[in-house]
Amino acid sequence: MILTGNEIQRQLDKGNILLCPFNSSQLNPNSYNYRLGPFLKVFIKFNGNKSVFKKVRIPKKGYILKPGRMYLGHTEELIGSKKYAMSLIGRSSMGRLGLFLQVSANLGHTNSSHHWTLELVPSIPIRIYPNMIIGQVSFWTNRGEIKKYTGKFGKYNLPQEAMNRYDINR
Amino acid sequence: MILTGNEIKKSVCSGKIVISPFSEEQLTSNSYDLRLGDILLKYKSKVLDPKKKSKYEYINIPSSGYTLNKGDFVLGSTKEKIGSNYFVPIIHAKSGIARMGLFVHITADLIDIGSIGNSTLQFFATLPVKIFPDMLIAQVSFWVPKGKITLYKGKYQHSEGPKSSLTYLDYHGKKH
Repeated sequence: MILTGNEIQRQLDKGNILLCPFNSSQLNPNSYNYRLGPFLKVFIKFNGNKSVFKKVRIPKKGYILKPGRMYLGHTEELIGSKKYAMSLIGRSSMGRLGLFLQVSANLGHTNSSHHWTLELVPSIPIRIYPNMIIGQVSFWTNRGEIKKYTGKFGKYNLPQEAMNRYDINR
Repeated sequence: MILTGNEIKKSVCSGKIVISPFSEEQLTSNSYDLRLGDILLKYKSKVLDPKKKSKYEYINIPSSGYTLNKGDFVLGSTKEKIGSNYFVPIIHAKSGIARMGLFVHITADLIDIGSIGNSTLQFFATLPVKIFPDMLIAQVSFWVPKGKITLYKGKYQHSEGPKSSLTYLDYHGKKH
């Protein structure tokens, strides 16, 4: 089951959901609007083994994303839950402007809690601003015993590029 | 929990789900297939700015079809008005459409409870693909919510045809 906005608020008050900072005006009927954090990682090149990114602070006047490129961003908020699974997507107002906020990896694991890394892929040039409301996260009830999250991205609070080589060598 | 096709049909009959026009043939095991409306919206601004109203034009999709080229991004809409005050709708491409390399939404699949209207589709073509008015292009599934429901009263309520981003309204009256 997907939590309604009222239930997200209730579970936040009970400590079962973490949204920090939280502002009730960002609650939707069945999700919470998250904001874009201040840093981007801009893809520079592939060096034969891995992708090289440059860290950029998004200026107040905005930063133009160009089609054909991929950028990593992060949520302003710490988002997590020990009780619910999460789905993190773009908001329709950004989808209508052609901006992907993730690349088919929308599932947030129960027990993870962090500033989510966003995968920004523009289909046409678009200006983005720090702190803008850019996407939404929904919370889903679990069925079955909850296993402790032991993933490796949960501890990162800035845009974090992939660590697939680590997976392969493990 | 996700509704089965039979439950979607029951809910349409009892008024808990709006799908209009509704045809039983478009029911699937876990969803309802949606048809493409006959109008597309294409932006004309060189750089889209969420704080400003963008320029755009409407394009009628001819019955002979409209070709989207690789990299094209346009908005379309479902022919049906859809929504529910009881369940949460989620939009998906039909897999046959995805297999042609066409995204029907851009990471915005979740619809608010209480939002009713033509759903705006966000087309992004990764290969050349031809689309036709009335074709089956997407599907909607319905999910059971938990908790007290507050219905959607947002800026896209009762949309007709493709609706451009109204995100600039969020900044209305502010300097930035």
